[in-house]
Amino acid sequence: MRLTSLIAAGVGLVFAAGQATAGELHFYNWGNYTDPKVLEKFTAETGIDITLDGYDSNDMMLAKVKAGGSGYDLAVPSGFMVKIMTDEGLIQKAGVNQMANFKNVEDQWVDVYFDPGREYSVPWQWGSTGISLNTKYYDGPKSDSWALVFDPPEELKNRINMVSEMSDVIAAGLFYLGLPQCNGNKADLKKLNDMLQSAKEDWRTIDYGIVEKMTSEDVYASHNWNGASMRARRVIPEIKYIYPKEGLNAWMDNVVLLSDAKNVDEAKVFMNFLMAPENAGMISSFAGYANAIKGSAEFMNPDMAEAPEIVGYEGAGKPEFIPPCTQEVQAMYTKIWNNLLK
Amino acid sequence: MPDTVALPPRSRPFDVRYMPGFTSMAWLCLIGLYAPLLIMAFFSFNESRSVTTFTDFSFRWYQIAADNAGVKDATILSLKLAALSTVFATIAATMAGLATTRTRSFKGQAFVFAVINQPLMIPEIVTAVGTLTFFGIIKQVTGIQSFGFLVLAHTVFCIPFAYMPIRARLEDMDLTFEHVAADLYASPWKAFRYVTFPMMLPGIIAGAMLAFVISLDDVIISLLVAGAGETTLPVWMIGQLRRGLTPEVNAISTVLLGVTIIFVSFFFFLTFRKRK
Repeated sequence: MRLTSLIAAGVGLVFAAGQATAGELHFYNWGNYTDPKVLEKFTAETGIDITLDGYDSNDMMLAKVKAGGSGYDLAVPSGFMVKIMTDEGLIQKAGVNQMANFKNVEDQWVDVYFDPGREYSVPWQWGSTGISLNTKYYDGPKSDSWALVFDPPEELKNRINMVSEMSDVIAAGLFYLGLPQCNGNKADLKKLNDMLQSAKEDWRTIDYGIVEKMTSEDVYASHNWNGASMRARRVIPEIKYIYPKEGLNAWMDNVVLLSDAKNVDEAKVFMNFLMAPENAGMISSFAGYANAIKGSAEFMNPDMAEAPEIVGYEGAGKPEFIPPCTQEVQAMYTKIWNNLLK
Repeated sequence: MPDTVALPPRSRPFDVRYMPGFTSMAWLCLIGLYAPLLIMAFFSFNESRSVTTFTDFSFRWYQIAADNAGVKDATILSLKLAALSTVFATIAATMAGLATTRTRSFKGQAFVFAVINQPLMIPEIVTAVGTLTFFGIIKQVTGIQSFGFLVLAHTVFCIPFAYMPIRARLEDMDLTFEHVAADLYASPWKAFRYVTFPMMLPGIIAGAMLAFVISLDDVIISLLVAGAGETTLPVWMIGQLRRGLTPEVNAISTVLLGVTIIFVSFFFFLTFRKRK
């Protein structure tokens, strides 16, 4: 009898130890994506304690939030995932467009397809998926086009890598062929499939670890994210990031307030904090991607504030968001992708 | 006089070690298992950022890992979690061991073994998803957020790992000593405290060490069940995947590997020292 109550008390203590107290916040973001100094600055300015946990994919984050009782107040889904979470009722309106720092958000990023007018989300960082080219090996006429990877010049054959993401590769292929995105037209898709199959002969790999591949010069050109390309350029200065003229895919990660968040007021203070130029600049410097806040360039590392990967260049192609496609189009894409990976 | 059957002559008793191809197969298995770990440890001493090309010998990544606040917090949390889970799991496993060994067969004995060893038989991802959903409901209904949930999840799957060595040790022990203690007027509790417990101590320590290592290395359950601020070391490492791996991860892995090897070696010595 005494033993039972002892054990019960011990278990009770362990459980009681974790009760939520006022002035704290629980942030769930991609791993290695948040500057610890930004969090320290936030705590120093507001007195709110903030914890950080990391995930490696949108799906993992969605699974934990959907199960309920995750304990997080804020998460950082990619654009298409914001839409999914809104539709499933997993995030709540935070009134972002009413916040004090909202005026700092760049105009082109206010009305996005996944959150028109910014009711739910604060932009965290955005990037594009273009081409990293090692100009030591080729710098000719095809250098501004998707033809670098889909119809490569002799010097690049068998030295090309593509990212291992179905939506990015197919989007790139459709841009190259000048066909509409989210394409369900069978004739168009056949053209795409044939083009990809013949381009594949000249590819070396379809894989991650792109910075390593480019810096070890295992490949001379790769489908790549702009931030990763900038990191590769720091090792080999001849590596250029190309915004292909036919157009390219853009992505954006956004901070959202979860429906079952316990610390709603603290969360809103943090969301407002993120839209201040000095904080956005710090965040960008850490992860190496652009942000959507006006005036943040002076707070970024100088080499990054002018980096062509981040700010673009004369004659660069225009990055655009591609909303997720319908189920049947996704199914057709999956067939093409599986065919490609065989 | 009974007939003796004539057996065919044998040069030596059958032993799989002398079968052809055994040595090469054994080497193949050892290399397949350990080569990746050795390569990973090797690259943790790499000077450059690459995990594929070795440039120069350096302790740089160990230093970076040691200075990284995220790694420090995750390590301390992992150690705390492993320590707590080990204590609870070993207590439960000791009680289970005493109750299920050296007795007459009782009804439902097979069922009891199955229940105790359930985490070993069911795929970890299934347990993880089930635990996530179950705790999710509880957290939503009661509103309690606590480290205790993660400890509970770890304790449950550590129990069979603590149970096995304890049970093995108990089976090796004679009931004679307990009978002698009873004859000498010792109460069951005193008999346990002065006779059984010291004799089973090597088994208990072995079980505790195994449980500690298993809890420290756990990934899937920790990944899904951990709440806010409860990032363990393996979960932290996985979170780095998307943004690119550096040899810092190799350095942490090598240290984790080293700790595991030390614990498992002690476990080995404790259980195989002498058998009655």
